[in-house]
Amino acid sequence: MLKKSKKFNTGTASSHVPAPVEGKTIIGEQIIIDGAIRGKEDLLIEGSVKGRIEVETHHLTVGPRGQVEAEIQAANVTISGRLVGNINAAGKVEITKEADFNGEITAKSISVEDGAYLKAVIELKREPHKQPVSVVKPEEKSASEPVKEPLTLAGKSSKGN
Amino acid sequence: MTFFATSSDRPRQDSDHRFKTVDYTSNVLQLFIESLDRQPPGQVLDLGPVCQENIRFFAERVKRLYVCDMFIRLERCLGKGNPVDRIWHELDYPPESFDGILIWELADRLDDDEVRALVKLCYIMLKPGGMAVVLVLGEQAARLGVNSFVIGQDFKVGLRSQPHLRLPIRGRQNRDVLAMMTPLKPAKSFICRLGFMEFLFTRD
Repeated sequence: MLKKSKKFNTGTASSHVPAPVEGKTIIGEQIIIDGAIRGKEDLLIEGSVKGRIEVETHHLTVGPRGQVEAEIQAANVTISGRLVGNINAAGKVEITKEADFNGEITAKSISVEDGAYLKAVIELKREPHKQPVSVVKPEEKSASEPVKEPLTLAGKSSKGN
Repeated sequence: MTFFATSSDRPRQDSDHRFKTVDYTSNVLQLFIESLDRQPPGQVLDLGPVCQENIRFFAERVKRLYVCDMFIRLERCLGKGNPVDRIWHELDYPPESFDGILIWELADRLDDDEVRALVKLCYIMLKPGGMAVVLVLGEQAARLGVNSFVIGQDFKVGLRSQPHLRLPIRGRQNRDVLAMMTPLKPAKSFICRLGFMEFLFTRD
């Protein structure tokens, strides 16, 4: 079931109307969504979602029971369930040990727990004009062949061979 | 030398240690990175156990880091009694995709035919001139169970136990490993603390 979860600040004794300080939408275990989701608040998925998810300024969590096959745009992403697809995050992507992820991640930073089931392409966003960390002096670099990139991995996951 | 042919032979208590204090400076990883740095940012494939530090280390140095943990795939495959060749379809990358592949000690977890299958795939996936990092565990290191080799500052590598991985270890002489790595060519080798060997292989 779709739930609206808000925590309220109870405030002082003189406050009659509690002010919301935090909110997120939960897609429950029994919900299946096929299509696009756009929103401006945090989203927790414990059900099944297939399609596109855009919560560009908010946090997307795929919970331990969540099953997602989607293109994702979010500020930050936490994966504890199964996710097949590509993630574009302005901030951080966190992958916990319960996660099963197959796809591409473009993010500013990433954290992964030992034991996560992962097949991923990882590309960290770099500040403009900032070169990758190098142990070789610039003058030692030489030209090379153009990079040939493997195809996108997003597709069928094959957990548990 | 004593090696444990199956995971059940291995002393269980060792794999319960989450962190190992042993570490060493990896000459092979340093050469690997220096070689990558001489080219425009390229692509590296890591076949080792998922490791936060290593993902960050390589993702900051290459254009695109590919991570495909073959250790956990092998663990699940063996756990279900499936033939190991079922896991090779995971390495479905186009030919000549990678400037480097980190194989770690995966070969030590496979039988001879499986190692040859892995090497053949790596050869195909490597670009000409590409490199592969291979570790061959010695007796002492083998007793530590399955570990990730965590890369730290100045190529200091520490071992971190992976208790969720209980894989067999095959004891091989270095020359036997070298023979199985054909057609990859050995470029450098170093013996490390704990008695294991680091190899850097290249593709012609």
